[in-house]
Amino acid sequence: MAILETRGLRKIYGSGDTEVRALDGVDLTVEKGEFAAVVGTSGSGKSTLLHMLGGLDRPTGGSVTVDGRELSTLKDEELTIFRRRKIGFVFQNYNLVPVLNVYENIVLPIQLDGGQPDKAYTDQIIETLGLQSKLQNLPNNLSGGQQQRVAIARALAAKPAIILADEPTGNLDSRTSQDVMGLLKVTSQRFSQTIVMITHNEEIAQMAGRIIRIEDGRIVTRG
Amino acid sequence: MIKVSNGSCIRRLGFRSMKASRTRNTVAVLAIALTTVLFTSLFTIAASINYSLQQENFRRAGGDAHGSIKYITWEQAEQLRQDPLIQEAWCRLFVGMPHEEPFHRSHVEVSYIEPNGAPHYFCAPEEGALPREGTNEAATDTYVLTLLGIEPEVGAQFTIPIVLDDGTSAPRTVERTFTLSGWWEYDSAVPANHVLLPRSAAGELCALSNGEEGSLTGVWNLDVMFAHPVGIQENLTAVLEHAGYQCDMAGAENFLITGVNWGYTGDRMVRGFDPTTAITVTVVLLLIIFTGYLIIYNVFQISVTNDIRFYGLLKTIGTTGRQIRRIIRRQALLLSLAGIPVGLLLGFAVGNILTPLIMAHLNYKNVFVSFNPWIFIGAAAFALLTVFLSCARPGRIAARVSPVEAVRYTEGGQPKKVRKRAVKAGTGGASLPKMAWANLGRSRSKTVVTILSLTLAVVLMNLVYTFVSGFDLEKYLSSQVATDFILAHADYFQSGANFRSADQALPEEVITEINARGGVTEGGRVYGQENTIQVFLPEAYVRRGISSVYSEEMLDSVVASREHVDADTVAGSAMLYGMEDFILGEISVLEGDVTPLSDPGQNAIAAVYHSDDYGAVNNDSNCFQIGDTVTLRYVTEWMNVDTDTGEEVSPEEAEARYERGEANFVPRAKVYEDKEYTVCALVEIPRALTYRYTLLGGSALAMGAELFQRDTGMHSVMVYAFNTTEESDAAMNDFLEDYTESVWPAFDYESKQGAMAEFDGFRRMFLTMGGALAAGIGLVGVLNFINAVLTGILTRKRELAMLQSVGMTGKQLKRMLVFEGLYYTMLSAALSLVLSGLLGPLMGAVCSIFWFFTYRFTVLPVLVVMPLFLILGLLVPLLTYRSVARFTIVERLREAEG
Repeated sequence: MAILETRGLRKIYGSGDTEVRALDGVDLTVEKGEFAAVVGTSGSGKSTLLHMLGGLDRPTGGSVTVDGRELSTLKDEELTIFRRRKIGFVFQNYNLVPVLNVYENIVLPIQLDGGQPDKAYTDQIIETLGLQSKLQNLPNNLSGGQQQRVAIARALAAKPAIILADEPTGNLDSRTSQDVMGLLKVTSQRFSQTIVMITHNEEIAQMAGRIIRIEDGRIVTRG
Repeated sequence: MIKVSNGSCIRRLGFRSMKASRTRNTVAVLAIALTTVLFTSLFTIAASINYSLQQENFRRAGGDAHGSIKYITWEQAEQLRQDPLIQEAWCRLFVGMPHEEPFHRSHVEVSYIEPNGAPHYFCAPEEGALPREGTNEAATDTYVLTLLGIEPEVGAQFTIPIVLDDGTSAPRTVERTFTLSGWWEYDSAVPANHVLLPRSAAGELCALSNGEEGSLTGVWNLDVMFAHPVGIQENLTAVLEHAGYQCDMAGAENFLITGVNWGYTGDRMVRGFDPTTAITVTVVLLLIIFTGYLIIYNVFQISVTNDIRFYGLLKTIGTTGRQIRRIIRRQALLLSLAGIPVGLLLGFAVGNILTPLIMAHLNYKNVFVSFNPWIFIGAAAFALLTVFLSCARPGRIAARVSPVEAVRYTEGGQPKKVRKRAVKAGTGGASLPKMAWANLGRSRSKTVVTILSLTLAVVLMNLVYTFVSGFDLEKYLSSQVATDFILAHADYFQSGANFRSADQALPEEVITEINARGGVTEGGRVYGQENTIQVFLPEAYVRRGISSVYSEEMLDSVVASREHVDADTVAGSAMLYGMEDFILGEISVLEGDVTPLSDPGQNAIAAVYHSDDYGAVNNDSNCFQIGDTVTLRYVTEWMNVDTDTGEEVSPEEAEARYERGEANFVPRAKVYEDKEYTVCALVEIPRALTYRYTLLGGSALAMGAELFQRDTGMHSVMVYAFNTTEESDAAMNDFLEDYTESVWPAFDYESKQGAMAEFDGFRRMFLTMGGALAAGIGLVGVLNFINAVLTGILTRKRELAMLQSVGMTGKQLKRMLVFEGLYYTMLSAALSLVLSGLLGPLMGAVCSIFWFFTYRFTVLPVLVVMPLFLILGLLVPLLTYRSVARFTIVERLREAEG
């Protein structure tokens, strides 16, 4: 079952001489439970692709369908709500809310939606990510690896259809990177969570179940 | 949208993110507090003036009851006071009044008032108590005690000769001695003085009167309070109706007289809807809202801009725009919770200080500072309104943040786009002034709002100054004052009383005493008429004169009822002056010559014209021209004439008709002498020397003092006007002040000095109000400026460190920041100059409605403020930078942005 599908996805910045084709007709399908890595060099369009997939930006052409919903049919406010219910984000620089503690950060998307966190599930995530002892800490008291683990926990907590990870190990040293990748892989399997990860690091990408290469706004290889 | 309960989460986010920005919070709380101070003091002053006016009216009306039912019996009072419409009621039994010396010039009433009513008559003893039942005790005020020459001490004995009204012209006088049980300070705003007796003593005295119908002694009044002061007359009518009485048909069996306290109606209601007051208050309210908006908006705008990443982040993880707006509103609310109470307290204090200063001019006998809860409710509501208005746009901006933007912001961490523009702006290299200029352009809205905020206060200050300096003392004095001093009976100065009879004449010995004091350089008497003198006037003129007070239908019959000499000529009323030579020199001659007036042989007379406050002569204010013959009719005996038959009505018959409410007779001259005069001049008399009231459809005429006395047979001096040498002005003023208070309390005086002081007070009132407002707004402006500079430097900490790391010296950096500060203040100064220059003449035109206003262009306040702005522009950036420079460049560079 395809949880994520793009058809002829295009994103063009500027026009005329300054026209930049960040995405130039991307067709992509990701199945439920897949852990896919999108690999490309700087400027290949991989970040733009992630923004389109997450509904953070609107495409110039083509469509993105997540969990059966076509994103272009949603209004801004609806898109925000759809995003917090269906899509979890993990960023290179964690993007944790500095004024909330670890636990509050993790359950924030659920609470924003007016829901009650699924206690058992959240505990399970916290345990899997090894955050039990850090729940009361504020983000800036944590190491980079720990912060990224909080971000992953936050992404998982809302039981999203997919998690989009943008260079999740970009700010981490190689040992911590391996650590975080391991956790991503484990969570993908344990919670049968679909994950689409973006990275420029081939070695990191190898840990994913599938590698998608992107160059000049087009997908070149499937594997 | 799906309704979700995420309140607690939003609250937490709002609260926590608020706690993170200390500086912003401090400035915001200060800004909100200042705005609230402005609102509260405005409301306090307005409410206090209104309240004082009301209290003054109650005192002048003699009490603060909503209404009264008059001249009833005790049984009627008992019956009527049961009515459920009445919230509170008290009865008063009138006994009589003392007329003999020393009470001959005072209004002292002896009565019994039920204890709960005494405070309503402003008769609550401050010392001692109300008289006890069954004793010979009485309570009164310090004025009565002073008249009697008795020290205010409980237990003192005093005797009062009470005249008991029995409906006859020779009422009985009873002398009684009382023991003082209590006294209160006399309030000069209350026209009547009271002596309160116990009920038994009052009843015993009343029993001595014959109890004739229509006598005042022995009648009861019932004063009532309803639930609210609206529709008092309707309520009174209803109360009467419930008890089987009515107040519409006089003479009927069940007729009772009712009275509505005009303190609740007339003046106050009119004042309440006074458009100028309403407009002033509205304009000031809007001004304060705008002032508050400028700063609170700026504070939120700056903080939202600085936290844009944070809002982007919230957006990315699924916070909707609506939720972000709620977060910001919530922060505003929390900050208001801190700022508003502080502002309310401070504002009330400021209002308390300012109210007496402002009211010093308003001639109120008592100044009350109102402690009305609505002041605080209103001020808090307006402050909150301002806060929410102010954070609406910043909230929208935060809500509109695109999540991608936020992601991008963080991705590379490259210098912001705007920075590049700053450098690009300098084509010939990046000079410090150019960089500073470009920096101001980075956040245009912040720059504009800050400059506007500073400018507002300066422009306002300039307007206030223009207004006040436009007050023209010469213009004011020329219309208010003719000579250094004028002395007359107190009634003469009292509008509504005025000079009307020989009783109010100035005795010759008073004038002699003044002249004997020395220092009087010149002086003259104005003789006034003691009773009606008729003058033959064209019917059309009379008609025109009274047309403003009668309806078109009534006009015909009113004019017809006037005594006609012939078809077109009516015997109207004259307002005749007799003037000594000195006075003739003080009046302005519009046409002709006044010298013939001094010679009684010429039978010359001058026609008096009026001009309005702006000096334009009203040609309709008299009907005589030079050379005209004026016929005056001096009446020695009057009679009443039936309007239908033209026959004489005997005094008894007239009395009877009057009792029946028939008004079908008018007074006519019975014994009289007509004399003719020739108009030699058209003149205008300075207001200070006129009768001080107008006679509609009559004619004001002036003749020489000698001729006046010869022909009218009247010798009453209405006014004595005189000049003194400059050195003796103060001494004469002190003398008159002292004498009119203690020796001749019946007389009063006006002085040029007094008028100047009044003028000064008037000017000071506006200066105080305007100055306080400008100061408040100025404070807000400065706070706004400090916040703009402060946040401008704090948020660029890293950028400034980077500039230093690439070779900018600390000195250069400071210079750049000082340039930024100076640009703000100097731009405000320039804008103030332009706006003041534009608005000044505009205001000049509007203010010409004040007749003593002469517009003069001035931008002095702007020029005075400029050096202040210079210092501000220098100091604020330097001080702020000093706190930043405490950290090393490396520390600052490493510090994470935001």
